[in-house]
Amino acid sequence: MAWAPPPSAAKLYRPNRFVSLPAELDPATFDTSPEKLRAETERLAIRSRLKRQYLLQLNDPSPPAVIENPALIRWVHAKSQNVYPTFRLTPRTSFLGAVYGLGPLLFWIFVLKADRDRKEKRIQEGKLKRSPFSVFF
Amino acid sequence: MAAGALRGVLWPRAAAGLRAARAALAAPAGARAASEMSQDMMPGPYPRTPEERAAAAKKYNMRVEDYQPYPDDGLGYGDYPMLPNKSQYERDPWYQWDQPDMRHNWGEPMHWDFDMYIRNRVDTSPTVVPWHTMSKHFLLFLSIMLIMFGLGEIYPSYRPVGPKQYPFNDLYLEKGGDPNKKPPTVIHYEI
Repeated sequence: MAWAPPPSAAKLYRPNRFVSLPAELDPATFDTSPEKLRAETERLAIRSRLKRQYLLQLNDPSPPAVIENPALIRWVHAKSQNVYPTFRLTPRTSFLGAVYGLGPLLFWIFVLKADRDRKEKRIQEGKLKRSPFSVFF
Repeated sequence: MAAGALRGVLWPRAAAGLRAARAALAAPAGARAASEMSQDMMPGPYPRTPEERAAAAKKYNMRVEDYQPYPDDGLGYGDYPMLPNKSQYERDPWYQWDQPDMRHNWGEPMHWDFDMYIRNRVDTSPTVVPWHTMSKHFLLFLSIMLIMFGLGEIYPSYRPVGPKQYPFNDLYLEKGGDPNKKPPTVIHYEI
């Protein structure tokens, strides 16, 4: 009888949102195919071009006052000013907007009102000790 | 994974959008602080055609095969690339980064949650023990301790005790009794 092969170490590890798979267990580390080599070469070309641009500006005899990082500028723009133009009303976004926008408000309205009603009921029944108001405890 | 990353982020996004709208009313549309980058170098809407994808990949300094935008859910990502959710801890500490503390190179596309993944904050490096094992051990320990403490509260168990006995006729003078009157005699023993 043939048993199924035991689960790989990567499957036993079960990486998730909080931890990633170690490189030793990842089969992609040991992949030496020509596609991977070409991909790595292209990435290296992009990286060295960017590094050259940066180092030219950094070691310039009359350097610019601030070396702007276009990636940083794009990141800031994307997170602050590109959200509203690309936002779209879908069932999911309207549901999430209602939950996050109105949810806490309605929750606290009902909790505080119920608490104060309970306190009022206790005052009417005479159970609550009403000490005279003092600012100094 | 994108939904989990978004959960705490929608409300400040709406506030930022409102602020941007108000700022757009104050200044002409398209105006930005003095910077040499033209509008086509900035992030834009979700790319629909393959040419737009190629142009976006070139804009973000990525390979076309590597470039993967966030799914077009209308949540406000636009054409920003979806990079793997790995913290800066996982990057090589011995490589000569342009910014060594951030482990980030000039011009390299930054993760959407870059400020969360810096080395002072969230760390997603692989752990020695798998996450599910760690959480199982921790939750088992916590639940067993809580259950035992709860049972101890519901069914307490101690040696038999009686009420505390005070001398000097139950501390008659100390409790404010009249010194001229004879105190009521309190006897705590039987012979």
